[in-house]
Amino acid sequence: MKPGNAIEAINVKKRFKVYLDKGSSMKEKLLFRSRNRHEDRWVLKGVSFEVKKGEAIGLIGKNGCGKSTTLKMLTRIMYPTSGTIELKGRVSSLIELGAGFHPDMSGKENIFTNASIFGLNHAEIERRLDDIIRFSELEEFIDNPVRTYSSGMYMRLAFAVAINVDADILLIDEILAVGDVSFQAKCFEKLKEIKRKGTTIVIVSHVMGQIEQICDRAIWIEEGLIKMEGKPRDIGQAYLASMEEKRLQKKEEEFAEQRKGQKKASTKDLPDFSDKTATRRGNLAVEITDFKTLNGNGEEKVVFSTGEDIRFEIHYKCHIPAPQVDFRVGIARDDGVHCYGISSYSETGKGAPVKEEGYAVLEISQNTLLSGKYLIDVGIKSTDQIAYDVISGIRAVQIKNVNSYESGIVKMKHDWMFGC
Amino acid sequence: MFKKLKELYDYREMIISLVRKDLRGRYKSSVLGFLWTFINPLCQIIVYTLVFSQIFRMGIEKYYLFLTVVMIPWVFFSSSVSGGSMSVVNQQDLVKKIYFPREVLPISFVTSCFVNMLLSFIVVFIVVAVSGIGFNPVALLFLPLIMLIEYILALGITMVTSACTVYLRDLEHIIGVLMMAWIYLTPVMYDISYVTENAPAKLVSIFYLNPMTSIAIAYRDILYYKRIPQMQHLLVAVVVGVVFLVAGSIIFAKLQRNFVEEL
Repeated sequence: MKPGNAIEAINVKKRFKVYLDKGSSMKEKLLFRSRNRHEDRWVLKGVSFEVKKGEAIGLIGKNGCGKSTTLKMLTRIMYPTSGTIELKGRVSSLIELGAGFHPDMSGKENIFTNASIFGLNHAEIERRLDDIIRFSELEEFIDNPVRTYSSGMYMRLAFAVAINVDADILLIDEILAVGDVSFQAKCFEKLKEIKRKGTTIVIVSHVMGQIEQICDRAIWIEEGLIKMEGKPRDIGQAYLASMEEKRLQKKEEEFAEQRKGQKKASTKDLPDFSDKTATRRGNLAVEITDFKTLNGNGEEKVVFSTGEDIRFEIHYKCHIPAPQVDFRVGIARDDGVHCYGISSYSETGKGAPVKEEGYAVLEISQNTLLSGKYLIDVGIKSTDQIAYDVISGIRAVQIKNVNSYESGIVKMKHDWMFGC
Repeated sequence: MFKKLKELYDYREMIISLVRKDLRGRYKSSVLGFLWTFINPLCQIIVYTLVFSQIFRMGIEKYYLFLTVVMIPWVFFSSSVSGGSMSVVNQQDLVKKIYFPREVLPISFVTSCFVNMLLSFIVVFIVVAVSGIGFNPVALLFLPLIMLIEYILALGITMVTSACTVYLRDLEHIIGVLMMAWIYLTPVMYDISYVTENAPAKLVSIFYLNPMTSIAIAYRDILYYKRIPQMQHLLVAVVVGVVFLVAGSIIFAKLQRNFVEEL
């Protein structure tokens, strides 16, 4: 191992045997040889990285990408199929908290058992006992059996032990969901303090914020390989953007399928072109027959970027002689916040003339919505506000806003200035 | 190898706490609790006394003592090997969750059986003293050595069985059957002289290959016949014990790499 390194992983590969029908008794092993067929699944396909002493790194990636397996191999719960992993110093892991807790034993006794599993001897535990109890905030309950603890108390005790081991290398898997908000904040502070003391930390997490705050470096693992490595902020951005891209792509595909008629709206009252969750009211004297959301090139889309042109097309059929109507479009965020609404009648001061069949178009140039899911409401009403056909939530559209740090509903033009 | 030993030494607290948990947990939620550790061997001796002085007349003076001084070490051996085979499987929650040298599990299991035997020996000593047989203090000095040899042997075998049972669960039952046969191949219930007098010399030497034979004889020599055990026979037990321990550690280290996937 190179000097100054705490962890070295060289070309680590891990294969899991996935048994189709596993028999572990001798009879089954001998008689049903064919049943022992298995498929090989390569979870890691050659991962190499180094961690310097005192460095904190974050492993990110979607479920099943191999990041937790990597962590398990770092703790030596599992071993790589090929490649080597070397660690220097005492390792403590916050992977499964409370290993070996015995429900009938008191909190204090469990501290001793649990800490001994981390390889501490009696004197070392004795020395840390006060710190552990104080950190867990369980002073009053420490002599009660652990089975009387709430799950939050249980986790607090377990976390307090694991974090007070004074390891040289600390491995953490999605743990900062322990206890209430104030305890979480405390854990977070403690982690930072541990890091300042020079402990090497490896974190697996989905929460990019935590990784950005603690880690010096992030490694993005995808399908068993390292996809990207670098500053947590950059990696986080790239990772989130890619995840969002994939999710929206899927949305687009689903919508295309629905359009093709393979997935029809289930409710009888709702027309095929509207989303299943929409609601419709009105006397249908003037009926909406189709609704399209188009981008600037006239392509039908449900995912738009902030700043993109959006064109709503409302097609209708009219069953009564030449009325004057009011076309209305509303946009609401999926949590119900009304973001935008416009009525042709209010704006122009007169009803729009309709024929037997036709369409109305609302063009929004350079929309200023920020990322999120938005529901479109469309309505045709008479000028005296009798509802002909009003469909709320006719279409859900996604707005994506990559590489921007703005949050909220709308984009605003802005500049920073700093005076001294 | 040396590194492993150092690591195990670092984890001594875990071994101690597992042993303590096992000893205390054994008679947990019973009214008499820890007292059972002493009542059990005492009852055993009482039953032997009644049976062999009233029903079976064995023609051996104080047969109940003759039997007890070997039976208690035998129970240690057989319960560590047969129970110990499940020591890793039974702790799978721990094994799957957290790292520690896996050797801790068989070691602590065998150790807790061993401590249990030591506690039983308190009862044995009292009975021996009361029975009037008395002690030979010089011979008694050899007792810790015999116990150590038996411990090494039991640990070595348990290392192998505990690791193999993870891969083949049948082993638990196979070992149960083997231990049942093994007690009759060891002079626990009869004296070694039955074999040496009646069997051809060739068979006798095979008989002595069983490491438990010389261990059983040694216990009986010390506590029943009040004489110093013959060391040349014990050599077999020492060699077999050490071979098993070294081979067992190597096998265990190899097999433990895939424990988590197999459990």
